[in-house]
Amino acid sequence: MLAEWSFAIFSGLTLAMAGFLVAAGLTLVFGILKILNFAHGTFFMVGAYVTYSLVGTEPSSMTWFLASVLLAGLAVGIIGLATDFIVFRRLRSADYHYTLIATFALLLLVTGFVKLIWGLDFLLVRPPAILDATWSVGGVFVPVYSVFVIGAGVIVYILLEVLLQRSWLGKIIQAVARDAWMADILGINTSAVMTVAVVASFMLAGIAGGLLVPNQSLSPALGDVFLLLAFTAVIIGGLGNVRGAFLASILLGLIESVSTVLVPDLPGLSLYLALILFILVRPQGIFTSGAH
Amino acid sequence: MPGRDTRFWTLTGVAMLAALAVLPLVANDSVKFIVGLAIIEALFALSWNLLFNYTGIASFGHAAFFAVGAYLVGIGQRHGWPVPFPAQLLGAFLAGSVMALVIGGIALRRATGIHFAILTLAVAEVVRMLISYSAYVGRDEGLAGIPRPVIDFGVTTLSLKSVNAYYWLILVICLVLALALWWFVSSRHGRATRSIALDAERAAFVGIDVYRMRLLSFTISGGVAGICGGLSAPWVQIVTPDLSHWLHSAQPMLNTLLGGSAYFWGPAIGAFVYAFINYSTRTLAGLSELMIGGILIIIILSAPMGIAGALAAAQRRLSRNYGEGSP
Repeated sequence: MLAEWSFAIFSGLTLAMAGFLVAAGLTLVFGILKILNFAHGTFFMVGAYVTYSLVGTEPSSMTWFLASVLLAGLAVGIIGLATDFIVFRRLRSADYHYTLIATFALLLLVTGFVKLIWGLDFLLVRPPAILDATWSVGGVFVPVYSVFVIGAGVIVYILLEVLLQRSWLGKIIQAVARDAWMADILGINTSAVMTVAVVASFMLAGIAGGLLVPNQSLSPALGDVFLLLAFTAVIIGGLGNVRGAFLASILLGLIESVSTVLVPDLPGLSLYLALILFILVRPQGIFTSGAH
Repeated sequence: MPGRDTRFWTLTGVAMLAALAVLPLVANDSVKFIVGLAIIEALFALSWNLLFNYTGIASFGHAAFFAVGAYLVGIGQRHGWPVPFPAQLLGAFLAGSVMALVIGGIALRRATGIHFAILTLAVAEVVRMLISYSAYVGRDEGLAGIPRPVIDFGVTTLSLKSVNAYYWLILVICLVLALALWWFVSSRHGRATRSIALDAERAAFVGIDVYRMRLLSFTISGGVAGICGGLSAPWVQIVTPDLSHWLHSAQPMLNTLLGGSAYFWGPAIGAFVYAFINYSTRTLAGLSELMIGGILIIIILSAPMGIAGALAAAQRRLSRNYGEGSP
């Protein structure tokens, strides 16, 4: 009984951090551009595929795996730069319906490219040998790879917090997010700052894709699964709020793990019910402070 | 302004309608199937645009209503409910509108804009999951082998078993409902919802009950989407949980923007163009998404008025040139 619960909570935390890795970039770009990027999950998927192309089914070493993850992040970041120049910049003053639908179109476009390049088959990447093991902690078997995912999520969160709260660039980003017009008057190149945020968001998506590709069935539908989880986290955490997204991810992971133990027949349903409930009761998210 | 030269548009409309009506006599079965489905998707897109352009609401889970209607008729036909087919279609309409009334009744009070969009998306996902967890409706595999109905009038029966008969049924019902929607948007209720779409605050100021008018639109739109689903089930002869997938919810948005959301018939034009692109790119996996996504981006960035907008501009140019040329 105890083992069942601790395993469920552990896998819930893994899911939470996986969701946060995707949600981080999503909330970052929303905070500054007020664009809810439907295509974010697809760029996450591109990161996963690029990593697959670099490491193959069996990564030769941990170093090469991590290097590939970074390369995937870089590749997706470059796509982000292009996307910003071609699409986002031209929609800065458009009605939000149109930006939503434009990112939806991007989703289709990129999914199409992925299908043409990598095909429809399910692919599998194993974790590097170091991570492909299990530890036994007090009678509960925990996969090392899950520990790695949780660790990666926490590290990305801390890095983002420090960068946004302490660094010069992070403060400028926050200023633009709060009031782009005023920032512009103060001599900040808001357009460039927005581009930086978009590229950072895309890089995060690519890195998340690379980190999470092991043990996933990699197919063109991969993006959808994580996108909706990340959406939920971003909404519950308050749009544009990194800390909120982090805490909301943990909350969602725990909700999911409790419900898999209590109602195992209905996997996944609790997440959506939580989302609906939160939108109706607290549409502004659980953390209303507005700051990042 | 759309429809400045009414005669041009009426003629185009009648010509297209005539082409659709005689299509079963000349085309093969697969073309009939695609066009029949496109007619249903056209009405589905019109129902979505009633919300988007005429009321100012973006529903990102519109497929949920479609799926509920489709499953209702699908189950009725498959399990042989002793309910005549017209009553089943009416049931699909009622199911869609009651569902919209309940969801809208709660959600439109509390959520707007992006939040409403995500909320409807989540509702559609819940519907999809509930369907796929239920054994009675065939879980993930759905219900296959749905028969086409025979309507019993007592003295005579009308068999819709043949492809042609059912195709014409689709055409007639969709046309009637589309005209009903057209009537609604030109009525005073339609003008009230249109003013809400333009500026909800001002509309409230001049005495329009914004919440009630939005709810009215949402209910009608949900009902029409439900009947679209109900019509599609015996045509496709299979219903699956993917009918409520968000990719299907995206379908009316794509068709609407492709055709032009500012024009009443724009979404219908978009649905047929989309069906044509989809049909001609079906051979290579991924190509259709690439084409549709690419076209949609280009339209949003460079021609936000859609195909209907481009057509109207071309028609205005033509008639101007003609007017100058004639004595």
